[in-house]
Amino acid sequence: MKRIIFTLLIITVMAGASRAKIDLVTLPTRDTVQLTIYNSADITLVRESRALTLKEGKNKLQFSWANTLIDPTSLEMLPLANADKIDITDLTYPPRVRNLGLWNIESGISGKVPVEITYLTSGLSWRAFYMGTLTEDEKTMRLQGYVRVTNNSGEDYENAQTRLIVGKVHILDQIAELARRQYPYGRPGEVIPMTLKALDRSAPMEMDKKIALSMLQSAIAKRPKEIKKEGLSEYFLYTIEGKETIPTGWSKRLLSFDVDEVPVVNLYKYEERRYGKSVVRFLSFKNDEEHELGETPIPGGRLKVYRNVGDEGHLSYTGQSSFKYVPVDEDVELNLGAVANVVVEPKLMDFKTENYRFDRSGNVSGWDEIRTFKIEVKNTRGIDVKVEIKRNFSTTHWKLAKSGDFGKFEQVDKDTVKFTLTLKPRSARKFEYVLRTYHGTREDDWTRALW
Amino acid sequence: MNSKRNKILAMVLGLVVVTIAEGRIKLVALPERAATVIRLDNPRATLIEEERVLTLQKGLNKVDFSWKAVSIDADSIRLRVLDHPDNVTLLNVSYPPNEAALVWQISSDSDYVETVRISYLLSNIDRLITYKAIANKAETFVDLKSYLILRNFSGEDFAKARVLLDYGESFEQGIDHEETKQMLFFKAAKVPITKIWTFDAAKLPWDPEQLENRNVGIPVSYRIVNDAKSGLGEFALWGGKARLFQDDGHESTIFLGEDVTAMVPVGEKMELYIGDSRDIVVTQRKMRDTQINKRYNNDSSPRLVLYDTDEIITAKIENFKDSPAVLTMIQHIPGQWDMKKCNMKYKKKDANTLEFEIKLPARTEAGPATKELTMHYNRRNIRPGVNVRPMPTRVQRTIRR
Repeated sequence: MKRIIFTLLIITVMAGASRAKIDLVTLPTRDTVQLTIYNSADITLVRESRALTLKEGKNKLQFSWANTLIDPTSLEMLPLANADKIDITDLTYPPRVRNLGLWNIESGISGKVPVEITYLTSGLSWRAFYMGTLTEDEKTMRLQGYVRVTNNSGEDYENAQTRLIVGKVHILDQIAELARRQYPYGRPGEVIPMTLKALDRSAPMEMDKKIALSMLQSAIAKRPKEIKKEGLSEYFLYTIEGKETIPTGWSKRLLSFDVDEVPVVNLYKYEERRYGKSVVRFLSFKNDEEHELGETPIPGGRLKVYRNVGDEGHLSYTGQSSFKYVPVDEDVELNLGAVANVVVEPKLMDFKTENYRFDRSGNVSGWDEIRTFKIEVKNTRGIDVKVEIKRNFSTTHWKLAKSGDFGKFEQVDKDTVKFTLTLKPRSARKFEYVLRTYHGTREDDWTRALW
Repeated sequence: MNSKRNKILAMVLGLVVVTIAEGRIKLVALPERAATVIRLDNPRATLIEEERVLTLQKGLNKVDFSWKAVSIDADSIRLRVLDHPDNVTLLNVSYPPNEAALVWQISSDSDYVETVRISYLLSNIDRLITYKAIANKAETFVDLKSYLILRNFSGEDFAKARVLLDYGESFEQGIDHEETKQMLFFKAAKVPITKIWTFDAAKLPWDPEQLENRNVGIPVSYRIVNDAKSGLGEFALWGGKARLFQDDGHESTIFLGEDVTAMVPVGEKMELYIGDSRDIVVTQRKMRDTQINKRYNNDSSPRLVLYDTDEIITAKIENFKDSPAVLTMIQHIPGQWDMKKCNMKYKKKDANTLEFEIKLPARTEAGPATKELTMHYNRRNIRPGVNVRPMPTRVQRTIRR
């Protein structure tokens, strides 16, 4: 549907007479259009070029956008040639007319003038999603990233250069709300009410031949389109090769990247404070060159993980997880949910108290508690796994002595420690730690060198 | 006057003094509105000044000024005689009952065709300022444009008026009731900017690892100084909404973000928050928090009455960007405190706020550029149950994925 209508009215002011003659001259069509779509907010920057035929003197250009979601306050027009001879004196939003703007242009030349019109609209969006396919030994994963672009803007954008922005943009007002205001800038003293008038989307979708043809053309192209990625300010700009036609109401899936062998670590985590008594499976890799990635950050999205089974290309569904935005060189940890085939079993083996202190009335004022834990870790799977066990303590006054096969030990913060172990296929490891906690006035006797 | 709508209608010159209380007889032509000025220099109220030509007769003259469907502050109305100020005197002003009107009684020593200027405050007509800035690719400067938006919802059409702001040239502009007009107000090319990243430990989550697949965005702002060095500094920049764009190097731009600025006087800084960076990651942890130097009272079951704390905070800062950045880190320590050891320099912004300026190089092949702040401090003389200074609450911002 074409809803953005451009009308050029030329007012010829007769010499000597104050009578103005208004001529409707042309309806210039869009020559090119570029969409820059954001995903952190419902906002798209549209840049279109049109060729106006101006007359010397005063020209009026009418721009209307009924049933679209354009923010009228964002409209801007710039001449692409003869900029010094063309003065855009003002943009008027006439009284009692909605979705219409009138540019007053003072032109020093007559003839064709290319102009660029930019505005912000709502209703176009994109999101990233991923498919991961693990090899049978789960050592590597094929990672395919997709983007899905959806047009619910009310306007068909034909043959548009489509660009996507990865990043978190700060906006004050929702574009959709600005688009629905009765007056573009509101009224003086007014607190802008949020009108929830729904857009007229009931009109039937008509697919004209051109759109059908262009969709067909991209379908018979020899290879999928490439997406060029580059960093700008705090954002990443994805430019989809060629032109896209996405009629209103439609969406389109495009391949963003396809990496065959991303080495992955099968990571299992155990932390009662966060996950309760279950072991949670993670798939971990790094967004860097070593992992065949690292060219650009990976935008957040949902990942579905499959695993190859057998020689005939059959798949088994492993699970799904949400990705957050991953900068270059950062670790990715994908939570695939609780599992039963890797087991972590902490057992309290011994408990005692000692070092009692008493106040002047003979009541207990301080003591120590000593707990001995045995932790058994079992890998029942046929592959190598890495297991991270975090233990949280109820006090910051503690000391710990460890023994056995505890792997790597690390203090995470004032009341958390971490053990990291690697387990061979179908193997088990055991370790012990003795935790002494200080209570009451015994806290005063606690010291721990840290820094 | 060819105005379609003229609610400030009646300017009636009463030649005959009518003393009947029940009705007022109004006579004489409606004098045309001559030069009209819309003064928008005060953001709280708009002053209209209009000139009208009155035909005065020797003796007492009554001039009736009335309006309907517009909102005029009756106490703000002033009359000024322009041609014969020494010969024409305003004697008094009276307000007729139940009418949006007033009556001037004017004494004239002769017959004059007199130009008078009437001033009044008119509601629902004002102006807004917006900014549009396009940054270069390197983010070192912006091309700044400011737009003036005239909004007229006063009920009155102004076919032609001189519009005055608090600075800059006045200009002629007509504006009808319910009309909004946007005009380019000023342009400044290549205004230098400073890009700032800010981590405030009281506003942002400390440990991204605890956030299950949500990113913590570090707020990013542009700073513009309103001074001559920036090509500005001639006048205060009015407050308004600013939209920022950036040149993408492909003859196009991307939208960076928007913010609203307060008025920026000459010499002051404008800070515009554009968006959040997810390529700088801060992981802050409390590594120690214990009570020391405890003092108990002499009760048989002694109660803790005074203590100090011993606290260690570490903050790992990683720059995943391929360009350097300067992170402003804000830390808060409540109450009385002493820094025992701190591995980075800080500025004490106030009693409880510490500001660190952390220079981060770009990411290298080896990985992100990493710095680690460690603060070891004691909070002093804490009395349980006595809140000398309230602890700042840690606001957990909602983070969008």
